[in-house]
Amino acid sequence: MSAETVLEIRGLHKYFGPTHANKNINFTLKKGEIKGLIGENGSGKSTLLSQIAGIYKYDEGEMLLNGKPYAPANPLDANRAKIAMVTQELGVVDKLPVGINVFLGRLDQFAKNGVVNLKKLNQAAAQVFEKWNLPPVPLGALMTGMMIEQRKIVELARALSVEPDILLLDEITQSLSLNNRNNLYALIKRLKEMGKSVIVITHDIDEMLAISDSITVLRDGEVVGDVKTSETTAEQIRYMMVGRNISGDYYRADNKVDYQDEVVLKAENVTIPGEIEDVSFELHKGEILGFCGLSDSGIHSVGKAVFGLSKITSGSIRLVATGEEIKSAPDAVRRQMAYVPKDRDNEALMIHASIHHNCTLPSLDELKGSVGYLSPSKLKKLSDDVVANMSVKCTGIGQTMDALSGGNKQKVNLGRWLAKDLKVLVLDCPTRGVDVGVKSYIYGLMKKAKADGIATILISDELTEVLGMADRLVVMKDGRIIKTIRRDEEFTEHSVIEVMI
Amino acid sequence: MTRKHNIKLQTIIPFVAFAVIFLFFTIASKGRMVTARNIGILIDQSMVIMLIGSGMLFVVAQGSIDLSVGVNLALSGVIGMWVALATGVHILLIPVSLIVGAIVGLFNGTLVSKLKVPSFVLTIALLIGVRGIVLMLQTKIGTQYLPASLRILNEPYVKIPMFLVILAIMTYIFEFTKAGRYSQAIGENETVAKFTGVPINKMKILAFVLSGIMAGAGAIFSIITVGGTSQTMGSFTEMKTAMAIFLGGVLVTGGYSAKIYKMLLGSFSITTIVNGLAIIGYPETEVSESVEGVLLLLILLVTMLSAERSRKREKAPSDKEPDEKAVEEATSIK
Amino acid sequence: MQQKSLSTKDTPGSKSELKAKLTFAGIFIVGVAVVFFIFNLLTHGNFLEWQNIKIILANMVYPSFMAWGMCFLFACGYNDMSWGGVVVLASFATGVFANMYGLVAGLIAGVLVGTVLVFINFCIFAYTKIPSWIASLSLAMIYEAIAVFLYRGKSTKALVEAPMAKELRIFGLLPWSLVVLAVGFVIIYFVYNRTIIGYNIRAIGGNANVSRALGVNVRKTLLWVGLICGLIIGITSFLQESYAGITTVKTGLASILLIFQPLAIALLADILQKKINIIIAVPVCAFLLYAVFNMMTLMHIPSGTLQEALLCLFIIVFAVVGQRGVKEVVK
Repeated sequence: MSAETVLEIRGLHKYFGPTHANKNINFTLKKGEIKGLIGENGSGKSTLLSQIAGIYKYDEGEMLLNGKPYAPANPLDANRAKIAMVTQELGVVDKLPVGINVFLGRLDQFAKNGVVNLKKLNQAAAQVFEKWNLPPVPLGALMTGMMIEQRKIVELARALSVEPDILLLDEITQSLSLNNRNNLYALIKRLKEMGKSVIVITHDIDEMLAISDSITVLRDGEVVGDVKTSETTAEQIRYMMVGRNISGDYYRADNKVDYQDEVVLKAENVTIPGEIEDVSFELHKGEILGFCGLSDSGIHSVGKAVFGLSKITSGSIRLVATGEEIKSAPDAVRRQMAYVPKDRDNEALMIHASIHHNCTLPSLDELKGSVGYLSPSKLKKLSDDVVANMSVKCTGIGQTMDALSGGNKQKVNLGRWLAKDLKVLVLDCPTRGVDVGVKSYIYGLMKKAKADGIATILISDELTEVLGMADRLVVMKDGRIIKTIRRDEEFTEHSVIEVMI
Repeated sequence: MTRKHNIKLQTIIPFVAFAVIFLFFTIASKGRMVTARNIGILIDQSMVIMLIGSGMLFVVAQGSIDLSVGVNLALSGVIGMWVALATGVHILLIPVSLIVGAIVGLFNGTLVSKLKVPSFVLTIALLIGVRGIVLMLQTKIGTQYLPASLRILNEPYVKIPMFLVILAIMTYIFEFTKAGRYSQAIGENETVAKFTGVPINKMKILAFVLSGIMAGAGAIFSIITVGGTSQTMGSFTEMKTAMAIFLGGVLVTGGYSAKIYKMLLGSFSITTIVNGLAIIGYPETEVSESVEGVLLLLILLVTMLSAERSRKREKAPSDKEPDEKAVEEATSIK
Repeated sequence: MQQKSLSTKDTPGSKSELKAKLTFAGIFIVGVAVVFFIFNLLTHGNFLEWQNIKIILANMVYPSFMAWGMCFLFACGYNDMSWGGVVVLASFATGVFANMYGLVAGLIAGVLVGTVLVFINFCIFAYTKIPSWIASLSLAMIYEAIAVFLYRGKSTKALVEAPMAKELRIFGLLPWSLVVLAVGFVIIYFVYNRTIIGYNIRAIGGNANVSRALGVNVRKTLLWVGLICGLIIGITSFLQESYAGITTVKTGLASILLIFQPLAIALLADILQKKINIIIAVPVCAFLLYAVFNMMTLMHIPSGTLQEALLCLFIIVFAVVGQRGVKEVVK
């Protein structure tokens, strides 16, 4: 190990129960190196960083920090070793003020006999903000109601206050506005010049190519590539991530805009304060209408709005056939609409309940007989059919959801909706956290739904996915629609990103 | 293998608990508990609990609680009886009690669903606040005796079929219609239920209304059995019913652990405890209350532990990322 | 998306923040003065008499303490319905030991019993995952039963009393009780707003997962809550026994009524939290609430059931107002 190496990981393994999240990871980080870590959802990158940061303990293998064995028991330990991380989940406590949030867990540094010296603490916090040129956030204000960007900045301040030798950033850029992102790049560069190292996780390959010195690619828990940025291209990275060329039969093979004339759903000037503004579009029968944008673009809010889950302050979502407005989720379900939310485990599925209960819940209205009778045999048949049609790997419909893999969960999730007679299907990141095989299966399902005349809204963080599947693509930014592109026009990543940024 | 083992454990807890309790008291009372007369008393006492429980079960299934059923019972009974006697139309006892019960339930349901007041704060406040008002009413009106015309309702051949019919209807609604399923879904994960199109506010209001109506029904049965209204009508009934539901193995968070048979078994258990303690020589409320308190804690612990264990076993082949953590008490009631 | 522009009001120590707070305080004081003036008119001048004000002041002391304890409960997100039962047991201890061994013994006994019992409660909350509201209800039942059992044999089964000798009850009287209040206020204000444990308690109530990841030991913090609240409850019991002289105990969850007055105070203080620090708000709200009930008594509205009902109405109203704007799932 050279004198330049600050962190070395050898043969690391991490299990979550029977899941092998990190397999035989070998990884080196030099002093003053900016390393990008990239991989699809579920590839194990957050897990890896979390172990370096002391959030999880690794099961096998070893970590060497400056040549000495390193096994942090908790994040505080890691901080003492001058390693700090900004995690993906929002990591602040709302009810407490900014200053306290920066130093939470380390308050004893500013306390005597248990009593905190607020002046000293706030001074120290202010110093951190100043030193790193972070946009100011009022230190005494409670964090309730602050926007995501400010929360991220506070978390960044917290990490920087440790004076880290290694800074770990997990998908932080997507929460930042453009100029703050540039500030972040400058900050990372500064750390590099100070001889500190940074590991950055981001989904944006181009961003990664721009700021990193080297890139490590993970796939299915393993390291599949470790390259110098100057010696690689976006294509190569993508190939390593997925393992094969993203070819035609994965997504759609055609370049035609292909949908019927009949308008099924109309959104007119929909506004949800703080989320989307003046959004209007038409959804046609048999169409796949894609929505994409950066974080805070409002694309996820559109999905919720269409399904009647959000309070719309002006404008309307209307089903053209009957002219009725969709005002609530029960409305939407009654009108043969379906919604597959992004957060599968918390918003879509009851994970401690059985496959059976999850399958039948959206269809209880249709299955009921006279006097509201829900026949157990009819319910069972529905669940059996879903499991069979989707080839769900399980021990039976009585098995609880949390025993299934992500891909199988998503099969149940989608399958139970597709078992109904649908007019509109709203999908939000339907292939998130799902392995490649199931991904392609889901794309097949989408194509079939399209052929059956179902109108689909596809919201996704993966640009390649929407480009691969959509007839038209709506690009949003800051809550507004910027542009709508058709499949037979300039339908490339380049043209889209131009507009997105 | 172990999974099946744990599912079975959860299902048989209520049976085992009841069997143990029953056996214990039968032995301790030297058989006095199982005399024909006493069995009759046991059945009478469990009837009210079971009726109210069949309504409260909807509320518990959703993860809430209704501790106002005791005072609701008293209020419905007093007002129902008063209207019946004042108008001379004695049969009015039945609809009036049910309607008063429903109104209280509507109040509860609206505040919990639309105004987001935590159910236990609200219903405990009612428990304390309304109790005094009912006492005042009773002092003003005096004890009201069941008129001769209605005494026929206490005959076993009328009372038991009435009870069974009501119970059958409530069982049907809970186990075989949307109302029960939706309530269970709300208890499992309210956000998921909402996103799957379950009408949340409507279901919450419905659950409390059902709970309230059943409190009214409990009032009717109470009055019939005792022969009139009394100062202790409905006292501690809410705790007894809640205990019946939890002793039956239903989780505090409700969900799919809520089942009618559990409530029924739990009702027998709680009635046996109170009755049994009285027979073996401890009729004082402080003894039964302490026993109930301890038992409740124990059963809550056991049910929770067995639910946790079966969940840990289940967590398996999943390519979960740390940022896709399963919902961990995200909706927990602290 | 659009950044919520933070006004200068939120900058700590800024002039405009101070101005906003003073304006609110000003309006508040004026409002209260007007209301008291009306009360005085309604009671033909009896309300604002010094003797009457003394009664209100004496009455508000021990509920303020319990309400402060509830501030910590709200802060960490837990509930404890058993405090009524704990107060009963601790008051017993105070009464009995004070009569036997003097004032100091009474104080120590009360505080000890209160601390131990609440600490046990929080051990149960911390080590089992039973939701605290139902766990504490069970505990309330157990404590009530113990209380009645300890005193069985004396009078009727339903009502049990533990009288404390009159000479020992100085802390129930003004001005000593106010002194205790002031001292208590200073200490509790400090603990809640300026100590590490205070921040940690508020942290786990705000976001337990984040706090845990940042190194806050959730379990230990909960046990600290148990200790702090236990001490507060112990002192409450001592004060209550000193003031009232007797403790009444019934079974059937009657002890919950004892919690209700402080609960109303704490809920109101919680609503005002955005403008006044909750610890400061508590005694203010205690005074206000007691003023209302005092006025009602002066107007010959019978205490007991009607005032109880009104108290419960207040609680429901405060709960409704306090929950305005809450977006999360509420059971």
